[in-house]
Amino acid sequence: MDLFEAIFWFLTAMAIGSALGVILSRNPINSVLFLIATFFAISGHYILMNAQFLAIVNIIVYAGAIMVLFLFVIMLMNLNADVEPQKSRLVQFAGIISGGILFLLILAALRDMKAAGVIEKTATDIGLMKNLGKTLFQNYVFPFEISSVLFLSAMIGAMVIGKKETLVIDKN
Amino acid sequence: MKAIIAATIIGVIMMFASILSNNKSGIVSLATVLFFFLFGINIWEVYESINATGVAAPAYLNNMMSLDSFAIWFSMLMSGCALLYILLLGKEIAKVGKHVGEYFALIAFIMVGIYLLAGYSNMLMLFIGIEILSIPQYILAGSDKRNLKSTEASLKYFLMGSFSTGILLMGIAMLYGATGSFDIINFRMLQTDALNPLALSGILFLIIGLGFKVSAAPMHMWTPDVYDGSPTPFTAFMSTIVKAGVFVAFLRLFHASFGNLTNHWMMIVAVITATTLFIGNITAVFQQSVKRMLAYSSIAQAGFMLFAILSVNATAWQGIVIYAVAYSVATIGMFAVLIKLKDYTYDGFNGLAKKEPALAFFTTIFLMSLAGIPLTGGFMAKYFVLLAAVQQGQVMWLVIFALIMAAVSVYYYFKVIIAMYFKTGEAELNHEVTGYDKLMLGITCLLVILIGLMPQLLLNL
Amino acid sequence: MNTLMLAVEQSTPINYLPVVLQLLVAIGFVIFMVGVTHLLGPKRKTADKLINFESGIPQVGNARQPMAIKYFLVAILFVLFDVEVIFFYPYAINFKELGTEGFMAVLMFVAFFLCGFIYIIKKGALEWEE
Repeated sequence: MDLFEAIFWFLTAMAIGSALGVILSRNPINSVLFLIATFFAISGHYILMNAQFLAIVNIIVYAGAIMVLFLFVIMLMNLNADVEPQKSRLVQFAGIISGGILFLLILAALRDMKAAGVIEKTATDIGLMKNLGKTLFQNYVFPFEISSVLFLSAMIGAMVIGKKETLVIDKN
Repeated sequence: MKAIIAATIIGVIMMFASILSNNKSGIVSLATVLFFFLFGINIWEVYESINATGVAAPAYLNNMMSLDSFAIWFSMLMSGCALLYILLLGKEIAKVGKHVGEYFALIAFIMVGIYLLAGYSNMLMLFIGIEILSIPQYILAGSDKRNLKSTEASLKYFLMGSFSTGILLMGIAMLYGATGSFDIINFRMLQTDALNPLALSGILFLIIGLGFKVSAAPMHMWTPDVYDGSPTPFTAFMSTIVKAGVFVAFLRLFHASFGNLTNHWMMIVAVITATTLFIGNITAVFQQSVKRMLAYSSIAQAGFMLFAILSVNATAWQGIVIYAVAYSVATIGMFAVLIKLKDYTYDGFNGLAKKEPALAFFTTIFLMSLAGIPLTGGFMAKYFVLLAAVQQGQVMWLVIFALIMAAVSVYYYFKVIIAMYFKTGEAELNHEVTGYDKLMLGITCLLVILIGLMPQLLLNL
Repeated sequence: MNTLMLAVEQSTPINYLPVVLQLLVAIGFVIFMVGVTHLLGPKRKTADKLINFESGIPQVGNARQPMAIKYFLVAILFVLFDVEVIFFYPYAINFKELGTEGFMAVLMFVAFFLCGFIYIIKKGALEWEE
């Protein structure tokens, strides 16, 4: 096991461990902190795959900005009263069973999977910022432009949902 | 391509219209004119695609989209439905809340998503299309901010919708792992004998993700609450045009890419179809509110549209087009009537025939179309999708089951008709039914019957 | 020198080893210092010392108050424009090679964002309402 592999397994364990921490911790703030740890672990994976741009974006956008949003949302809620209704044991049990079955099925299916011959085992340089930029602005320029529509709808959504409504008298 | 650009620009114009003017009816008129314009652009594009065959796609598209004649034709039909929707319900949209211009902008952006889904040839475009379709819907569902049910609908839809998008992305990632490509044409290289388990899981995840978006059971749980809680004009849009757009995306992927793998996914989709038909129809029987009944009926209708996915042949493509239009037109008409009433329960319809005979007559036609009575569009739609399944020949049991379920659906649709004609009562209207309303509903009715008599008008293929 | 240049140009994950080392040193230093103060320092716990510090004023109520949504509105708009800026990095690196076409693509993208920006300003989303 060389250094590369050791780091890979360390990051994997960290990602899965903190992801479990997100769903298992009782305090929502802890969940958010675990999620940040998960993002850092995944960023580490990106760096191992030589996709440095993605790693940085993941940290700036997700671990930075989106996590702040998450914290805002959690603070929007009233955390004093324990109002969350407890799901009945039966529902919990059914959820665990069905989720577990799906997990086992996919695990069993993927166990004897042949690598499709397209998966690169070593780091390539496609994730470097220069190459990524070329791909983005040449091959994927159309989805790039179209994504601005998505941003516009998100802006409208923030306005429509988030802005306090003052009563205006309808002119009709 | 022109339609995509035009719809985007219309969205931006509507955004600015909301800044510049507070005049609600002015904004509605502007939106109507712009959607007329959009429909015109679509027709222009269809005209071009008929006259100029073999024109190379623009270079910047880079195989992201394949705007073939089907995509352009379907986009045109959906723009037509959207225009009809705005003409019928534009005034009601203005009553939902303060941000009227924004609502129309969001509707225009949803149209962009539908155009993308009609003609995508890359999984990335599928994802972006689904997102552009979904995010405005979450907002529209919660646009009535003073109504707690609307907020609940928005939140539920958002949480479950993002979860299903996550599953869809997982499926796309798995297929990428199996083939090394996002291009849906390249998925054809997946051969039945040496099929990668990764690809199979990917297909399964895609069925779940897309099944959620078209509210196929057992991924339908969000539908009744969201459709019931959202402001009625937006329910009319979400349950018709948007759903039809996602269905075409579903069809395109499963026919173009996985058409030769039917023995792997056929059974799963068949079981989903049977469950959808059963749950949609049986639960609709027990509803008290007509709006909620229509939500369940939209699940049931999705069950019929799933037949087009099941049967991999040319009739299925015709079937989905006819079904999409016939179902959309009739449902939009039905919602346009429903919104006039004060009380959304069945009792609210009592004695409507005496008070507003024209309105009651139009409602009858719409409901008959939804139930699939001959001479209406709904009949031809059901006929075509079931014909496709019969031609496929593998799911005869399902066709018979669907016929039984269609018979069940007659019960709850006719309950409204019985309430209107045979029960005494005072159907209270929210506001006067104007001559314009009657004219538009009459045109919608004519369309329903026209589709029933000449469904080949909708087919250019 | 030559090998160093080569390594920079190839830009493999191993180049990030210094960053990782620095990170480890930084985290390790903090853990070490906090741990050492904990071990060495005297511990006198009284009720007054364990109380949350609120500028010397006796604390009132609970800190977990629901926050106003206006913070959220600003935050989400920040994220949107943050993502927009992210797209500039890969463009800036390829600025010359992408030429006019790339410039037009970015210009259009920015134009859409500008529309959104004007919309937000005119709607008063960034005005702080009391």
